[in-house]
Amino acid sequence: MSRKIIKTISLGSFVLVIALSPAWPTQAQESGALYERMAPIDQYLMTDRNTEIAFARTAAPESISRDAEVWVFGRHGYEAAVKGKNGWVCIVERSWMAPFDDPEFLNPDQRVPLCLNPPAARTHLPLTFKTTELAMAGQSKTQMFDSIKAAYDKNELPLPEPGSMCYMLSKQQFFSHRVGNGDPHLMFWFPQKDHQDWGADFPGSPIDIHQYSPQPITEFDISVSKWSDGTAAPAN
Amino acid sequence: MMASNAVRRCTIFGWIFVLAMVLGSAQYACAKDDKAPYPSMAPLDQYLMGRDAEIAMARSAAPEAISRDAEILVLGQHGYETAVKGKNGFVCDVERSWMGPFEKNPEFWNPKVRGAGCYNPQAARSVLPIAYLRTKLALAGLSPAEIAEGIKAAYAKKELPPVEPGAMSFMMSKQTYLTDRGITSDGAHNMAHVMFFTALMDTANWGANLDNSPILLNPQFNGSPEPVEVYMVCTGAWSDGTPAPVS
Repeated sequence: MSRKIIKTISLGSFVLVIALSPAWPTQAQESGALYERMAPIDQYLMTDRNTEIAFARTAAPESISRDAEVWVFGRHGYEAAVKGKNGWVCIVERSWMAPFDDPEFLNPDQRVPLCLNPPAARTHLPLTFKTTELAMAGQSKTQMFDSIKAAYDKNELPLPEPGSMCYMLSKQQFFSHRVGNGDPHLMFWFPQKDHQDWGADFPGSPIDIHQYSPQPITEFDISVSKWSDGTAAPAN
Repeated sequence: MMASNAVRRCTIFGWIFVLAMVLGSAQYACAKDDKAPYPSMAPLDQYLMGRDAEIAMARSAAPEAISRDAEILVLGQHGYETAVKGKNGFVCDVERSWMGPFEKNPEFWNPKVRGAGCYNPQAARSVLPIAYLRTKLALAGLSPAEIAEGIKAAYAKKELPPVEPGAMSFMMSKQTYLTDRGITSDGAHNMAHVMFFTALMDTANWGANLDNSPILLNPQFNGSPEPVEVYMVCTGAWSDGTPAPVS
């Protein structure tokens, strides 16, 4: 902990680690420049549909994900690949679901599986689909920011329902070159107007917070000890 | 680690805790009545603590950065009273055994139970009133069934509020004593965790208690009669930052 300040995760998922090592400014500059523009779409696709389905399911224990609906990312956006039975939805989000100030916002290597519970499936997925649509339309980050803000202002995107949360327990998740696979964790979402106070980010608190912008959403993250397959995560 | 301080392990033992609360009571149920360990309320003194010790224990439920500015409650002869005014909306207390489940709970009157908790503002407003009322009724000499009826009536008359979204609490005190049974591999009677309170819902909505799920359903309230679900996630670290027992 002394060498780095650990912060946050994205709305869709991404843990942002702000490393305080001497190499950090250089790395940020390089990765920021590197991922300023959208890469060719092929770089964001996975090799085949079944691989992505299996990958999406690794976000949660099999006891949850086996009956979940699964979406995969194709050339024209997300499409439903497997019908579900339990109201959960598993999906592999791409880099544009990271915070807009993430230097790897368009890093095509990012792959972040989530399994959303039913309230989150209803209220978070529309944001995923909208953001993906904007990214694929070639909008700049600034344009995307404005479009998302306008969508919330016009109530075209829903606020999180009470109880909205997701699992992110995939051992294969990849957030960024700086963060790597991160930790297995749970995320909980609330409207910012609720002014939730979970004692997050205080020294010794097991809970992190991220206040999104322009999404009027508060996210709390809590790490857990095991990946979805039951194996222990490294205790750093 | 990614998200600040380690939130580690104890899923298995959390299960043991939950099972101990629900199923483990069967061992007592099978015992003869005359061997019931805590058949009735003990003399009140056995539930009381020294004021300063209780303040310190209540604060140990959460990291010092949170609890130092919290309101602190202590249990007195007539119920909980404010010992220290707070500044941040959190409220810390040490709860007694009568906050456990009403049914199949042989430790309902166990005077050794001390559960230190720090409630966030949402929980302080909407969950803590349960503790006040249960305590008031317990101290009035009511039986568990009568306390449950009192709680049920209070909800019916809207004297108890519905749980607010986002209500949660820290239970990371090393000093907490939850049950006579060992609930971790090293036989501890406690585990470091956070609790989330929701209105009654299908617990599958959070994937609680499913294989390999890190979320546990605590049967503390569970609609019997409080219309509140309690979910637990182990933190793997005590409030002082030291690792919690794991395996």
